[in-house]
Amino acid sequence: MFYYKSMKAILLARLDATAQAPYPYPETSVPAGFPSPAQDYRAVSIDLNDILIKDKAATYILRVSGHSMVDAGISDGDEIIVDRSLRPRPGNIVVAALNGEFTVKRFHIDQAGVGWLYPENPQYSPLQINEESDFTIFGVVTRCLHHV
Amino acid sequence: MSSNLIFHVDINSCYASCEKILDPSLARKPAVVLSNNDGCIIALDAHAKALGFSMGQPWFEVKQRAHEQGVIARSSNYELYGDISDRVMRVLQEYAGDFEQYSIDEAFLSAPVSPAEAQSLARTIKDDLARRVGVPVCVGVARTKTLAKLSNKAAKKIPALSGVCVWDALPTERREALLTTLPVSELWGVGSRSARRLTLQGICSIKDLALAPPTLIRERFNVVLMRTALEVRGIPAIEWEENRIMKDQLIYSRSFSDPITTEEQMCQVLSVYAQRAAQRLVKHQQTARYISAFCSTSYFAQGVQSHPAVRVKLDTATADPVVITRASHRLLTRADFGVARYVRAGIILTDLHPAAYEPLLEPFISPHDKRQIARLLHTVQEQCGEHSVGLGYAGLSHKPSWEMKREMLSPRGTTHWNELATAKIR
Repeated sequence: MFYYKSMKAILLARLDATAQAPYPYPETSVPAGFPSPAQDYRAVSIDLNDILIKDKAATYILRVSGHSMVDAGISDGDEIIVDRSLRPRPGNIVVAALNGEFTVKRFHIDQAGVGWLYPENPQYSPLQINEESDFTIFGVVTRCLHHV
Repeated sequence: MSSNLIFHVDINSCYASCEKILDPSLARKPAVVLSNNDGCIIALDAHAKALGFSMGQPWFEVKQRAHEQGVIARSSNYELYGDISDRVMRVLQEYAGDFEQYSIDEAFLSAPVSPAEAQSLARTIKDDLARRVGVPVCVGVARTKTLAKLSNKAAKKIPALSGVCVWDALPTERREALLTTLPVSELWGVGSRSARRLTLQGICSIKDLALAPPTLIRERFNVVLMRTALEVRGIPAIEWEENRIMKDQLIYSRSFSDPITTEEQMCQVLSVYAQRAAQRLVKHQQTARYISAFCSTSYFAQGVQSHPAVRVKLDTATADPVVITRASHRLLTRADFGVARYVRAGIILTDLHPAAYEPLLEPFISPHDKRQIARLLHTVQEQCGEHSVGLGYAGLSHKPSWEMKREMLSPRGTTHWNELATAKIR
């Protein structure tokens, strides 16, 4: 039923979790002798904010509760990054405000032009968006911070 | 060639709109936001206004009716409003030449466009803020700040404009009608006192002010009002804030959940407020020369009225929390402890200078400044939380009993990790 491919992890770079504003490296002063060969290869530590958040004004972080999206890799208690600047397209995972609550689902439009919110868990059924639904899309989910 | 036009952008019912972004249950409901200690209504949406609620109404008077009519109340969530405001300002700066944030919910910006182009740019800005941040705004555009602000009022009041008003694109009759019917008190920078004095001189409408000779206004009133008069004529006369001298005052004042009657409690309050004020100075890289401290009893309460205040000149301009806290404690000797029930206290720092504005001679540098105490506290508090460290009484780790009451506070979903909004995936 399930088979696991062997997984590889590649080290992208040294990650300094505590650095909020990376300090500029001090000019190394070498009174005499050979300069450090590493000097030319210095770079600023990775800042997750820069990588995960493309538009700071438009990005909100929400915490999810429930199990209807497990097959999309979104689990109970995970944090999701939601970018409102992106135009929601069919197939996107979105945060929608539906009848006064936020919900996370995959957004689809069928051939009749009707909007649907699809869960990603066979135990749940899709929700049709009809004229009576109090429905708006809050934003497009770009990342999930999954707790392993 | 087109010259610069000035855009004034203002968030509609700011606090109420902020509350609605992360709480979809509020979307179709009337909402009000209450002042510190849940005292009175300080913000409300159009829906609540239509139900007859208004700014300044004491909450206890209208609470019952609000519940009956399904009005949702929230305590003021300044962390949330501050963050949303930052987002709005960040977006606005993408469009701006000159830029000036005027308050938490409004800003001026300039752009080199014609009135026709201004119409579509204003619409773009409005739509962009609605889509990205999630707040509704109105935009007023004109050749001067004063007219831009007036246009914004028109944009809010006249539904047909749907939130955008470009002064020079309005039909001439409409402009004339606005200028002749609106009283001078509707103008930015004209207070009720000036308005009364102007009316006595026969200057009642905005049009009257525009027609009065500017030199006469300067002679009979002041240069500030003359600038306003020029701006109404379409002549830019008010500078951009970034070019002007720094705002010369910093106030940190709050009311308490329960009245304070003892010297010990007041000492703690002053320590905390003085340090929060000092912290803001550090954050804005400023120093202060004078500190005032005050406390007061409630105007509405029976019993002893007491409103003591002190003003202390510091030896040098400083942002040192130790010096500022010590100075604030001079208020303690002037208060009537035991008889008066104080409901409010505050710290006012004046005569502000940019940090390192004047190079100090060694003997005049406060020893704490030299050891960078202020910056150290600031750094620790930034990384470990506001209540992690403080001087003396302000360092007490348990929450003092007089801290503000915020019983209907929404989650601080954009600034506090453990208060994120929840999305259900049931």
